[in-house]
Amino acid sequence: MEDSSSGNASVVLPGDIIAGQPMAIPGCYVSGGKTIASVLSLMRDGKVIPLKGLYLPTQDDYVVGIVVEERFSGYSVELHSPYLGSLSSRETRYQFKTGDLISAKIAEVNEVNEATLMDERPLGIGSLIEVDYVKVPRIIGRNGSMLAMIQQYTGTEMFVGKNGRIFVRGGDTLLAEKAILKIDSEAHIPGLTDRIKEFLEKESGKKF
Amino acid sequence: MVGSGDFKLLRDDGKRLDGRGPMDLREISMKVGVLKQAAGSAMVQMGKNKVIAGVYGPREVFPKFLTKPDRAIIQCRYVMAPFSGLEDHGRSGPNRRSQEISKVIKHVFENAVLVHQFPKTAINISMEVLQSDGGTRVASLNAAALAMVDAGLPVKDIITAVSVGKAGGQVIVDLSKEEDNHGQSDIPMAFSLRTGELLLYQMDGLLTKDEVDQAITMGHEAAKKVREFQEAALIEKYAGNQNSADNSMQ
Repeated sequence: MEDSSSGNASVVLPGDIIAGQPMAIPGCYVSGGKTIASVLSLMRDGKVIPLKGLYLPTQDDYVVGIVVEERFSGYSVELHSPYLGSLSSRETRYQFKTGDLISAKIAEVNEVNEATLMDERPLGIGSLIEVDYVKVPRIIGRNGSMLAMIQQYTGTEMFVGKNGRIFVRGGDTLLAEKAILKIDSEAHIPGLTDRIKEFLEKESGKKF
Repeated sequence: MVGSGDFKLLRDDGKRLDGRGPMDLREISMKVGVLKQAAGSAMVQMGKNKVIAGVYGPREVFPKFLTKPDRAIIQCRYVMAPFSGLEDHGRSGPNRRSQEISKVIKHVFENAVLVHQFPKTAINISMEVLQSDGGTRVASLNAAALAMVDAGLPVKDIITAVSVGKAGGQVIVDLSKEEDNHGQSDIPMAFSLRTGELLLYQMDGLLTKDEVDQAITMGHEAAKKVREFQEAALIEKYAGNQNSADNSMQ
């Protein structure tokens, strides 16, 4: 493990031992009674935060999907994941076309990670931003504060999917996109909230 | 790739042709995240070897019949570019040798990647040798291991490879092209340094039992040094800009 010069966070590499006993931590695996990192992570204040990951459909998650196939029986929805979601045509009142953006909730996931969707809604026209799904909590912020701040400065409406997809509509969508991508690339550097606020103030010319 | 030993591989001062001692590695440089379209990628230079690796997936399996219901399969492609060596075309393009190397590297990652987390998918590794000078499969493995971590795919450990062999009567590490072609033995090996386990071990030539033990020990020591470069490359990309947030957009 390397200590970063900022002091309170250090990079954790795959193969690094996190704990001397078995623990269930995301981004880690258990072997020989020890918990070991399996993906690149940050260790901050004793917590392991994966820096990279692949979204696996999880029950009850709200996600943003793209319809990729229309069949007689329903739709296949691409979820920014190695696995597709499916929507039965009998259970939806909407008619989707290939390429449509939708928001949905993951109803069920089977043993091979294939998901069925519910609460689907077309998202209409807007911008789509894709980030690594592990960054989503940072984009939302504590109690939604980061997301609210971006929406306030840019005048946009945003829907954040747990799968790392963010739908943006109205207002200054370009600035919102820049802010989100900035969070994506700097999430591991401390002082993020202040920096994003400064960035938004400077770029939008507004002050709140 | 093993010669008769007539080719002089030791200088008069006892050092190797390029002045190295038995445990000295050639110059190494590594960079992570060099291909924008790949899930993960890396470029590795070891001596004059220059290799680029890309990792893609997990994604749908092609051809479909290879799908495994409980895990991701690894599909691996090692190939040398036509301009990689001094001879016209040389060993470039897909051929038996490249198929063999693709296969052995595939097996390394089948044992290193946590494949059970991604059933019914494929993880594709593509390695292209841009310049070769002895030890391309080792450089390719090191690049692929970095690309795997860069892709965010869960692995048991970062795999580190190194070549060991015998030339001029002594066991040496990191064989150059001349030592590989005219020496007495060539042993590429790959370690999971966390446990010390070997994930790749191939051998050309003849060694005594003691020499084999010595080779593995020396390989293990040399791999630790190579590992430092792998770690530095990852840290450079993912934490190197801790103090310079303004130029983090690359």
